[in-house]
Amino acid sequence: MPEQSNDYRVVVFGAAGVGKSSLVLRFVRGTFRETYIPTIEDTYRQVISCDKNICTLQITDTTGSHQFPAMQRLSISKGHAFILVYSVTSKQSMEELQPIYEQICQIKGNIQNIPIMLVGNKSDETQREVETTEGEALATKWMCSFMETSAKLNYNVQELFQELLNLEKRRAVSLQVDGKKSKQQKRKDKLKGKCSLM
Amino acid sequence: MTGMKQIEKFLKKQTSTLTRSRVEKDGIFPGTLKRRPSASKILPFLKDTVSGSDSPSPKDEFSPDIGCLESKWTDTEDDLTSPSLSSGEISPNGSTLSSKLWHLSDTPENIVEHVLEGLLETTKNGTDAEILLDDFLLTHSVFMPTDKLLQVLHKQYCMSASERAENWNEAYPQLKKQKVLRITFEWAEKCKDLLLEDEVAVRLLKDLNAIARKDLHLYPNLNEELTRLKHIVDTVEYRPPEECSHLRKKQVKPLFRHFSRTDICLQQREPLRGTDEIFCRVYASDHSYVTIKSRLSASVQEIVLAVAEKLQHSEEESKEPVHKNLLLVALRSSGEKTMFRLDEDSVFTTLGVNTHLFACTKESVESLVPPPAVERFPHEGPEINEMNMVEMANQITTFDWELLNCVHELELIHYVFRNESIRRRTANLELVLQRCSEVQHWVATEILMCERLGKRVQLLKTFINIAALCKEKQNLFSFFAIVMGLCNAAVSRLCLTWEKLPAKCKKLFQKFESLTDPSRNHKSYRDAIARMKPPLIPFVPLLLKDMTFIHEGNKTFLNQLVNFEKMHMVANAVRTMRKYRSTPLELESEMAANHIEIKAYVRQLHVIDNQQLLYDLSYRLEPKDP
Repeated sequence: MPEQSNDYRVVVFGAAGVGKSSLVLRFVRGTFRETYIPTIEDTYRQVISCDKNICTLQITDTTGSHQFPAMQRLSISKGHAFILVYSVTSKQSMEELQPIYEQICQIKGNIQNIPIMLVGNKSDETQREVETTEGEALATKWMCSFMETSAKLNYNVQELFQELLNLEKRRAVSLQVDGKKSKQQKRKDKLKGKCSLM
Repeated sequence: MTGMKQIEKFLKKQTSTLTRSRVEKDGIFPGTLKRRPSASKILPFLKDTVSGSDSPSPKDEFSPDIGCLESKWTDTEDDLTSPSLSSGEISPNGSTLSSKLWHLSDTPENIVEHVLEGLLETTKNGTDAEILLDDFLLTHSVFMPTDKLLQVLHKQYCMSASERAENWNEAYPQLKKQKVLRITFEWAEKCKDLLLEDEVAVRLLKDLNAIARKDLHLYPNLNEELTRLKHIVDTVEYRPPEECSHLRKKQVKPLFRHFSRTDICLQQREPLRGTDEIFCRVYASDHSYVTIKSRLSASVQEIVLAVAEKLQHSEEESKEPVHKNLLLVALRSSGEKTMFRLDEDSVFTTLGVNTHLFACTKESVESLVPPPAVERFPHEGPEINEMNMVEMANQITTFDWELLNCVHELELIHYVFRNESIRRRTANLELVLQRCSEVQHWVATEILMCERLGKRVQLLKTFINIAALCKEKQNLFSFFAIVMGLCNAAVSRLCLTWEKLPAKCKKLFQKFESLTDPSRNHKSYRDAIARMKPPLIPFVPLLLKDMTFIHEGNKTFLNQLVNFEKMHMVANAVRTMRKYRSTPLELESEMAANHIEIKAYVRQLHVIDNQQLLYDLSYRLEPKDP
């Protein structure tokens, strides 16, 4: 299936080992792998609904090691939405997101209409270095959304992607294609007054 | 006598090759003659005699002289003399043929003996013995695998003590041992880069070295040879692939466009080796992809396993091997597909400029579609029309020179004598060929992507001037490639654009077209290159074509005996390349203020190589006549 101009491109950034690949794989395949295989760059595609049409959600899982600045710039330039992941067990991983956020702002210019989600992964871990409140504070500072997740326990993963799509104002993108709304979703719609969110 | 018959055969074949190329001038090139696959691999790099344009050549129409070309770019030395039978770059030298050594047709083992004899009787044969040695060292892999060669050398070395040859005297054993050792270290010197992955060869080499060392007290004169041999044996170490990544902490090489980094691109190119690691994107049929890290010489089986490992979602699923059903397919931008066998290796450098690897099931192969082109970050890089042309030509030439110098002489042999069973070691040569295609398509792409007529005319002028500068610097490689790009049917049909070119430019381009005319077996080009002194960068595809025709026109084995005359002809071709590279290239460096920008640009060209797409772009600019 060739890429069309109505693809919806989500790019996942973050330091090495925070769980970017785990989150993406959990979402796309529903599985989790204990062994760590560093990613260079992988992209997954999934059919979703967009303005009542079928379009493709393209999720790009990037490397945590900043090897290819040109590739990173290109992903940002072509991306529609961004997920910035850190691990709640590593304060440093949260700090490493700063230059990435800045580059997104620089390349995109105005980030008001760009869905950005700050994600604190590995929420199942007990040895925390970052509290939930710290994550929330950073998200407020960056004027983006925030969520804590656990790819291992499959906590908040589906919600992460759904919420990201909900943030998209320029068109109506949704994970469900067949038109069925979940109860939760219908309630949300009523409150927001939005249409066609499945 | 067998000797005479072979000369006749050789001359007959040479003539028929030339006759064939004369026929091609009138027919369609590549011709209707049946060719073995090896020839068809090179022909796409060569120019069509029939350009297939759908409108008369616009350059015939002259318009008043608008622009001015500096006179230094008008070349007077291109006047063509009247056509005559081209002798090509490889002509049989009458005097050396008369020496008995060239009529050689013998078993591989006996050939080694002939070489040894030649070296032993140096007073009689002079340089012929050296040429014979060179011929042998260059071509032995064609008829004698490495381990066999080393075994024979080993045997000859040990034999020398006991045998009684015709001209035996007391000094004979030592002299013979010296010569055997000489052949050994000359061979090892030539092959050492390629030995890294050949375990058996390295072991045999070390064995011979060990045995020879023991003889030192008996034959003190062997010292010089032994020192040289030891030196090489020390530098040649077999390293199993797994060890390599630990031992050499080198950066992963950027082979593919997605992974190129400007800072790395600016560094001087080094020869690629099979043990080098690269990143590669492998697509699935829906255009999702994974990126794997792989050894350059990895087998298709290894690549498929790496991809499957990435695709394997969790430990439970690993029980069902994903890789069993996966095929590796190369998909060109035109949609053309090539399926790889699991046992093939070193496939990465065989891919064309915009060719992608796919891993999919057999059923999905049919429906594979190329992914969209990898884009540039918008507005990156300088404008061609505004770049300093001399700097551009210099940077292009410097890069071509670097690429050419990465090519080992043996790669030429391995490329032409491609054999399914021999492991391919032609990565650097393949990159040179890829560059040729890249430059051609760069020229066409830039012109066809330029929407404004005035700018487009300027681009034409710029490219013609860059070609002229390349030619001036004796870079016939990019000169040819640029001219071929301008002759691309999608470009040459832009009448309105070509007619606005200043008359001087048109005349100059016509001269360039004549120079690159393939008729009479590229006589114009061959004459021009014969007048040049090294250093120069030849049009490599033509050299490979010559070698391929030598290969296809002559049998390697005659009644199971090696046709060494053929080996000699092949070695002659390799020696022309040696000649061209024999002197270092010196260019005025860094003339323009933004030379770094230009250097980076030239080394990271983005091109469209899908001919249909180029035509579409062309029709948009100048619609077809109804």
